[in-house]
Amino acid sequence: MLPPASGTGTFVRTSEKVIRLLRQGCTNRPFFHIVRRKNQYRPVIEQVGTFDPLPNEHNEKLTSLNYERIRHWIGNGAHVSKPVEQLLGLAGFFPIHPTSYMNAWRNRKAIKENQEKSINVDDKTEDKQ
Amino acid sequence: MAAFRFISQCLNTKTESISGLHYTVFRRLLNYSTVEYAEQNDPRPSFFNKDIQNILRTLTRVDLQRVFRTRKLGQGKVHDPEYRFMTNEELQMAMREAELKADNLLQIPPVVPVRTPISKILSQDPELQGLESSKMIFTDITFGVKDSDRLIVVREPDGTLREAEWEVRNRINQIYFPQEGRAIKTPQMFQGTEFEDVLKRQEYEFILDRACIQFEPNDPEYQRVTSITYQHINDNNGFEKLRSTRHFGALAFFLVWHKNIDNLLLELIETCYADEANTLIELYSKIHKVNFEKTSELSMIEDYIKKFSNKKGALELALQAYKELLDEKRKVEQGVKTAHGLS
Repeated sequence: MLPPASGTGTFVRTSEKVIRLLRQGCTNRPFFHIVRRKNQYRPVIEQVGTFDPLPNEHNEKLTSLNYERIRHWIGNGAHVSKPVEQLLGLAGFFPIHPTSYMNAWRNRKAIKENQEKSINVDDKTEDKQ
Repeated sequence: MAAFRFISQCLNTKTESISGLHYTVFRRLLNYSTVEYAEQNDPRPSFFNKDIQNILRTLTRVDLQRVFRTRKLGQGKVHDPEYRFMTNEELQMAMREAELKADNLLQIPPVVPVRTPISKILSQDPELQGLESSKMIFTDITFGVKDSDRLIVVREPDGTLREAEWEVRNRINQIYFPQEGRAIKTPQMFQGTEFEDVLKRQEYEFILDRACIQFEPNDPEYQRVTSITYQHINDNNGFEKLRSTRHFGALAFFLVWHKNIDNLLLELIETCYADEANTLIELYSKIHKVNFEKTSELSMIEDYIKKFSNKKGALELALQAYKELLDEKRKVEQGVKTAHGLS
């Protein structure tokens, strides 16, 4: 069952809280809620957004963020998990996360290596012929 | 020429194959072009003027029977009318209430210039190239923000962070904050042959009502659909279909704004609504800041025909016929009076 936007979790002032992704959706169809909860095993306190990692027909990945509430919770000392930090970085809300730069660099490198490999393979096949 | 005529005859009789003749059929598409209200020539000050709103309302020729007719809107069962005994005062109150309701129903959709495209870049981070192969769209879903003010940004695969264009904004707004009756994709009926088909069936009110729900009034698509519909109405004399609806004011404003009122004027004269014809000319003079003679009842119309009309012949003939009709009526009245021995 989906937790309501203002969730069932109880708010305890002294306990640590985190804004994190919560996997909803189903098998082979991930869909995330961005929620605030005490930890993975505790009920949601509030849902503050959604994230759909599968691109739609226009090749867009949709994310919704309730900036007002995110600001409020961060102001109240909530932590933000790494994936959510990356999302907020891409959204221009946070500075871009170092991991995003790292992943981008790695991806670029992998693409380059693949290209070189395919060129080498092509050369070899041509030599054989 | 003969060959052309032969082929067109064949097409008319719907014979699919003509022995020994190979031809390509070019289907004649709608030959109307979009007419938009431009930002440089802003229609807003004229349209929202109180006098002009009143004139547009007069031209709508409100018939309460038509405004409150039963309509198939897909909202469940149609109820039986309720009959009540009322005193004269109560009846007047009820009529006033109905008029207020009609006022709400007949609010003319706003006439505004077409919007300017959004091209605001917030930041450029080429270091993010390769991170994503698709665009990322981030929407602010804070409670209580208007659709038009909502922050929607796009992170491109090349690392640019910019504000989303109008087309994307509409789609995203409809996804997160759906409005009833609006579709995420533009309905087929506004495009291509389907649009032509609805126009051909003269379902103008249906088109305009749906366009009002589907688009914002400053959307180029809205202005395309409505302007083509208005032009079609003007050419096919479908004015009566829009009377007593909220769209007649917008139609009249469109025609006056683009100086194309001859057909409407002709229709008004032919159906003996000389006072409305006069109001139309007054609207023309107010919007285009020109003056017409006001010596007699029909002088304004005559002056307009002389100065600005493109259909002088037809309009003059119609006006002449109208004058003759008036003369005839006067004579008959005189005759009746003398027969009754009144004069």
